[in-house]
Amino acid sequence: MAVYSPNTLRQTDIEDLFRYNYRPLCMYALHYLQDTDLVEDVVQECFTTLWEKLEQGSQVANRRAYLYMTVRNRCLDHLRRKGIQTESLKPYDTYGIIDDDDAEERSQIEAKLWTAIDSLPEKCRQVFLMSKRDGLKYEEIAQELGLSVNTVRNQISKALNVLKNGAIKIYSFILGIF
Amino acid sequence: MSHSEDRHLDFVLKHYKEGAFDTQKAIGRFKAANGVKPMPRRRWNPVIYAMSAAAALLIGVFLFMHSGSRQWTEISADASQQEFMLPDGTCVTLAPGSVLSYRMKDERRVKMEGKVFFDVARDEARPFEVDADGAFVRVLGTEFMVDAAEEDQTKVYVADGKVLFAKGPEEEGVILTKGMGATIEEGAEMPVVEEVADINSIAWQRGSFIFDQTPLKDVLDCLSKYYHVSFVATDLSKRLSGEFYADDLDLIIELIESALDVTIIKR
Repeated sequence: MAVYSPNTLRQTDIEDLFRYNYRPLCMYALHYLQDTDLVEDVVQECFTTLWEKLEQGSQVANRRAYLYMTVRNRCLDHLRRKGIQTESLKPYDTYGIIDDDDAEERSQIEAKLWTAIDSLPEKCRQVFLMSKRDGLKYEEIAQELGLSVNTVRNQISKALNVLKNGAIKIYSFILGIF
Repeated sequence: MSHSEDRHLDFVLKHYKEGAFDTQKAIGRFKAANGVKPMPRRRWNPVIYAMSAAAALLIGVFLFMHSGSRQWTEISADASQQEFMLPDGTCVTLAPGSVLSYRMKDERRVKMEGKVFFDVARDEARPFEVDADGAFVRVLGTEFMVDAAEEDQTKVYVADGKVLFAKGPEEEGVILTKGMGATIEEGAEMPVVEEVADINSIAWQRGSFIFDQTPLKDVLDCLSKYYHVSFVATDLSKRLSGEFYADDLDLIIELIESALDVTIIKR
């Protein structure tokens, strides 16, 4: 007998919701707000909204879809309050506007990439971020960290390799190739 | 990488901050804000839940009337890992199949079987004591694990602080500090200390593996113990560093393969 009532929403359920959706939801909100701190607040608020709704006894058939919907609405509210015109309330990446419908799936891929960067060995991650995020030259990184240019180059290609292979796996997982 | 992968990675990199979007921290923040307390991780049918709540209440009233807090209260974990908060504020994580009973009034006493992680609330006046049948631990406030799941030995691992580990309450023991572990064999008088114990012995509780220049052979041993699968790999002498979340074995394997340029096969 599967009774779907708020009584069955226990600690593990909310933890599982977080584990599977927190990072993707943050990436999703980031496409709208472009601010990591603000994004974490917004996503927290949305989990709280869902929790309160369930505690009041409301039925939420698809909790994940509900979370994405409330995150999106909350992001749009933020942008409107900042006085942004309705027609430009769109998700962005570094290249420009992206499709509303793609944003959810992209966020899941990007969350996995974020996790893959987290999992790089510390030195490797540091070198990689200095180069690819901060735009420093190999020589500058080598000098700052007291490494040889060759080591810097190796660390970066190692990191890219990890991310690339990670990404291939992520794609095949999402697209169901295997 | 293809163009769309580049777009994804560029976006991630533009915003990437170490320590941001930490799911575990977010869960902590959520619980603190919404008053969700650690509680038994059981999925009960609401009817049974109501019945057992009533039964527990009756038992509670009975115990209270007859003996105050002098009785042992038992908690256990069945098929899944469970977290509880004890009356003194200590958080315990029970591995599947573990049992713990406690008695707390003027003293803080715990008896246990199986594998339990303790995050002990500090109370200088009342040391926290764990009795694992042939192994005894006394602390003031710290984080540690007692693994009494094996028949003939009991292990202790200290994540933070300082603990006393002995055969029994009156016996001479060893002092363990952060990062240290010790094992007492059945019939032995004293535990044997490991100065640098395996940090991944508490991976089940922490939810991640930490490796620091660890030979691939040891990495795979650690993973196979945790996931109950075995591996073969091309070059076992390479060394791995980094922290890996324990929720996705395939991703861990993928990351290790790329980082070390080896091939790993699950069997």
